[in-house]
Amino acid sequence: MYANVALGILSSLPMAIEGTNRLIVDIAMFFGLLVIVAMALNFQYGNAGIPNMGCAVQVIIGAFSVSAIVLRIMFTVIASAGVPLEDWNDPYFWVYSSPRNVRLVNEFLKVNAPLAIGFFLLSVGTALVLGAVIGYLLALPAIRLRATYLMIVLITMADASQIIGRNVTWISGGTMGVWIPNIFAWYPGDVGVITAVITLMIGLISFFIFRTMLNSPYGRLMRSMRENEVTLGSIGKNVVDIRRNILMFASGVTAVAGVINVYYLQFSNESGYQRAYWTYWPWLMLILGGPGNNAGTFLGAAMIIALRRAIIVFKFQIMQFFFFPISLLEDILLGGLLVVVMIFRPNGLIPEKLLYIPGVNYAKMVQEEVKVDWRAAPKARAKKSEKKEETQK
Amino acid sequence: MDATIIYMAITYASELTLLSIGFTLTYLTAKIPNFAHGTYAGFGIYVSYTFAKFFGINPYLGFPIAFIVGGSISIIVFKLVISTLTKMGSGSIVLTIATLAIQIFLGALLNIYAYMFIAFFKQYATAFLLKEYDFKIGDISGIFFVSIGISIATVIALHYLLTRTRMGIAMRATAEDTELASVLGINIVNVQLFSWFLTGGLACLAGAMIPFWLQSSPMTGSGIITSIMAGSLLGGFESVYGAIIGGFTIGMSEIMLTLGGQLLLGNWFGEYRPLIPMAFLIAVLLIEPRGLQGFYERIKRRRGKPTPKISEKKEDDK
Repeated sequence: MYANVALGILSSLPMAIEGTNRLIVDIAMFFGLLVIVAMALNFQYGNAGIPNMGCAVQVIIGAFSVSAIVLRIMFTVIASAGVPLEDWNDPYFWVYSSPRNVRLVNEFLKVNAPLAIGFFLLSVGTALVLGAVIGYLLALPAIRLRATYLMIVLITMADASQIIGRNVTWISGGTMGVWIPNIFAWYPGDVGVITAVITLMIGLISFFIFRTMLNSPYGRLMRSMRENEVTLGSIGKNVVDIRRNILMFASGVTAVAGVINVYYLQFSNESGYQRAYWTYWPWLMLILGGPGNNAGTFLGAAMIIALRRAIIVFKFQIMQFFFFPISLLEDILLGGLLVVVMIFRPNGLIPEKLLYIPGVNYAKMVQEEVKVDWRAAPKARAKKSEKKEETQK
Repeated sequence: MDATIIYMAITYASELTLLSIGFTLTYLTAKIPNFAHGTYAGFGIYVSYTFAKFFGINPYLGFPIAFIVGGSISIIVFKLVISTLTKMGSGSIVLTIATLAIQIFLGALLNIYAYMFIAFFKQYATAFLLKEYDFKIGDISGIFFVSIGISIATVIALHYLLTRTRMGIAMRATAEDTELASVLGINIVNVQLFSWFLTGGLACLAGAMIPFWLQSSPMTGSGIITSIMAGSLLGGFESVYGAIIGGFTIGMSEIMLTLGGQLLLGNWFGEYRPLIPMAFLIAVLLIEPRGLQGFYERIKRRRGKPTPKISEKKEDDK
């Protein structure tokens, strides 16, 4: 089975991706996608204590940045290359001629692989920047106030962004939606496989970035803020600024998940970004796995995604026993599991431990020694100071 | 401009007042925003539906039942989840997430209840309007008078409860400082149970009045939560009297501003109606996070009449 998947990636045979293998690719894709969101959430809530209930806003910003900005740039560049695109400037034609334009763009991108990769990187960059901007704007009304105010603002903003996306046609095609070009058209094999691989790669990169940040002095600052804000303020740290920076950074990373989702579906519409899906399920993953450590986030994400995929795959067998739609069963599971985990496992399946990273030395990255042996630490410090003195001499 | 829309706005505003009062009372006793508050109203909607369409009785007779149903749900939620989590020492963030989970759970239960009518009784229960069960005085539908009457009566009763009765004073003491109140011999558990019953009952009662004028579905209740929070926040989040003004203002402005926008700018403005309470929410947080209560206290302070603080009072007593 795994050999088949590997074969599919390597030799890009379209035959390899069928049946169970398709399910594995799908699970890998959604695992990568939601683990990015859940990891960013762990960064914010698990380590810094910021209750970000607005993951859906951040994801939707990533999706909108592709459909509203990158798609226009793409059309402009490709039209200047001589491809006869139809009119797209008017909001009406933006939706109406979207399928034909996207087909032409796909044919163009099939030949020009470097351009397609460039567009993908551009959209990731745009999402990072726009996500950070939206993180700043979201933080504006309530970052100084109590955490519950921030939750209220972020939850309402998730609904507001959907309403705006539904009614402003030029953003993502309003209720009709816009088609998105297949950015991996140059890849000869299956598009799902390469999207899943790239998603997992981005997840891995963001995991290492988060891990490095959490082991740096800034990470310790975050955890101290989670434990006691007043103490942190009393030693001269600006709590509001730290909180805002964390929110901005994490929103940027979460927005990248929206970009990948749009390219995977090749379609952009606001209705796919409900707060139930993009906020509550990542929260359940985080709380089930255990807030504060990334291993817990991975475990929670894997369990929840396996559960949801199982419900979707065996939908017709399950449907015989119930008279209501299966989505309601998912809702009951979501709400019930959240409460049950909170009551019976308040620290999650893998409780948070003191961070200790053996073996890997990030000293070059973060300008700090991570190899901490507490008994040897004073000696190391003494050595460091000796070295400093020598250099000063 | 049609006069009926003003009656409708006042009806909506008085229902929102009831909901905002309940939301504020929950915030006072448990110190958390209860996101499931709108879903209680959804249960009220379906009590009305069951009375009208299933039993064939006038849904006005179901109002006491709605009050009891809402109160019971609220008490179950409090006993099973909120009180358990509080005893475990969970913070306000965890408790708020728990209320969100309860909102999802109760919303799904309500949906299942609606689908039960479709599956077993062949009644289309997921979108309905009970206008034909309403009475009329002149040209005005009866729900206008009923909702205004109920909300005014509630406000008066609540004022009497909070200022004149033992229970109300105990509630206020618990809201100020739970531990100190328990030292003084107040049974905290009873007070909290009573206030949760009251909030759930009021929310369900307000919900029972909604389907008389608005087409309702299982999602109507949870969709209204933004307006409730905006009303409560405008009132200051910790003041019942502020919530009365705040809820009424948000309810009126939500409908009247939409109407004004539609007349001035065009029909497209109606789509943005849910953004109006959100705009209020953010404006209040940016200008004066403590809402009308903070504004009132600031004016009082400027006039040179500082509000008596507890510490100052104690010094006077000595």
